[in-house]
Amino acid sequence: MSLADPRLHGPAVTETTMPTSTMTSAPKTRASNGNGTRRRRHHAEGLEAGKRSTRTLLWILLAAAMIFYGFPFLYLLFTSFKTPIDTIAVPPTILPREWTLENYTNALGRSGVLASFINSAQTAIISTVLSLVLAVPAAYGITRYKTPSGRVFIMAALVTRMVPPVAIGIPLASMMSAAGLADTPIALSIAHTTISLPLSIWLMSSFFEAVPKDLEEAATVDGCSRLGALWRVVIPVVSGGIAVTAIFAFLASWNEFLFALLMTAVRSQTTPVVIANFQTQFGLDWGSMTALAAVYSIPVILLTLLLQRKIVAGMTLGAVKG
Amino acid sequence: MRISDRRFATFLMAPAALFLAIFVAYPLFRLVADSFFKISPIAGGPRDFVGLDNYFRAFASEAFMGAGWRTLAYTLVVVTLEFALGLGMALLFTMLGRNSQIWRTVFLYPLMIAPIVAGLLWKFLMIDNFGLIGTLMHQAGLLANPNQIGWLSDPNIVLFSVAIPDIWLTTSFMCLVLFAGLQNIPGDLIEAARLDGARAPAMLFRIILPLLRPVIAVALVVRGIDAARAFDTILIQTNGGPQSASETMSLLIYRTMIRFGDPGLASAMGTIYLLAMLAVAFFAVSTIWRPGKDN
Repeated sequence: MSLADPRLHGPAVTETTMPTSTMTSAPKTRASNGNGTRRRRHHAEGLEAGKRSTRTLLWILLAAAMIFYGFPFLYLLFTSFKTPIDTIAVPPTILPREWTLENYTNALGRSGVLASFINSAQTAIISTVLSLVLAVPAAYGITRYKTPSGRVFIMAALVTRMVPPVAIGIPLASMMSAAGLADTPIALSIAHTTISLPLSIWLMSSFFEAVPKDLEEAATVDGCSRLGALWRVVIPVVSGGIAVTAIFAFLASWNEFLFALLMTAVRSQTTPVVIANFQTQFGLDWGSMTALAAVYSIPVILLTLLLQRKIVAGMTLGAVKG
Repeated sequence: MRISDRRFATFLMAPAALFLAIFVAYPLFRLVADSFFKISPIAGGPRDFVGLDNYFRAFASEAFMGAGWRTLAYTLVVVTLEFALGLGMALLFTMLGRNSQIWRTVFLYPLMIAPIVAGLLWKFLMIDNFGLIGTLMHQAGLLANPNQIGWLSDPNIVLFSVAIPDIWLTTSFMCLVLFAGLQNIPGDLIEAARLDGARAPAMLFRIILPLLRPVIAVALVVRGIDAARAFDTILIQTNGGPQSASETMSLLIYRTMIRFGDPGLASAMGTIYLLAMLAVAFFAVSTIWRPGKDN
């Protein structure tokens, strides 16, 4: 596994939301995990600090970094429990003087807020399914058959990533209204899929790359069709990879703002747009804004951290077995 | 009858290719086509062919050239700081070894936060009067007055301030990419260098960074492209202000299209922006990344 191999790092880094486990595990599914782990452990002795004093210093540095990176979100949480008048107190305090759920009831009680959550979830789910349905066969076609058109296609997918959403947002929005889909979750999820599909193709390609070819050759010898071999033999092997890809597609849609701003009005508005609108529509209502931002962020933070552990566990299990 | 492998591969790729053709390539074609017209913002309004006029107007406009330079400066600030911080964190986690694993996971959390929320919470930290950062710096004795630095209201520093949420959000990404790269450096190599008496700076600049070069290149290109397209965090913090001092290309195009109702001009700007991004990205990929080439 040479460092220069773009397969190793290329696909997995094409998105900004990518947990560690995927980076290190993407190219190694069960099939090729054995010596990867051994080498990693060996290496740990290489750069790992040995001296007690050095380690203490490093831990202090880590604590400082954790506070710096953790504090902004904690402050958002604390603020969301302050009384509305307290949120704009001068000078500001870190902890609420008085803990209250007022901001939460205010924010969630506002018309359109709950509906926006449903829209966000609906859009993200449709977009994730669409991404997977299109990306899984495409990535398999690219990696397994290595045709010239496949190579062109994966480069084209990379170029797609460079397109600024603002450049295609307006034409896309007018196409959707021409198709009678204006202001619907379907239209928005299609727009979000233009972002997540190239990423999903790159990710899935790296997962398929790790599956040994003998696997489906054995299946086709046993009388499976190529499609049957893909469905019954290859897909189960890369199911961990599909889960990872699904997480990224979901997050890309859940957190997206610009397309949502351009393509939704009232009916299909997602929560990021509602959060941004709090600013203009109701003056500066920081309390409600922070409460809504917290409610919107916490489920995905927890979900991703939870699933991430599962993915890591699956990979480790595969390594032990395989 | 069994179809050939090549046909089968095409059949598997066709749906995704078709999707990208309809929903990415065609809108791009429309964008380029619109850039040659003067278009009335009212639906169904007149469309007059004006040739390259929109392009001349774009290059002649101070707003466009200004936004171009600001986008470049913003991208350089974001990518440089993120790289330095990400590398520092990756080295820290590597040097601490296994025990730091849980913190590595926790450190990822900003990646899951929506950019719009990140922009919002940093705006709240930096805003004039009740922003916490000024107050804390004042209490620590660094500032004479909590409002001494107008993070988001001083045109001279606002471009740096609006970059902070972006850096905060994606340092974790840099860190984990570099961390993964560090795990692939053979331990023997480090041991050998250590036996040869290499000190920390030499180890970093002579051994670690050269070995990480392909990973670094990918990370910088990917993040550079993202930073050059930044929109959400800036829109919610300053909306491009004060006095357009934080107006990057995405914001300018958005405002030209929506607020100033000039789709033709906005399309020309979008086309130039896209071509510039492609040119820079291809240059970067061919000179520093060199996919498929071994060291």
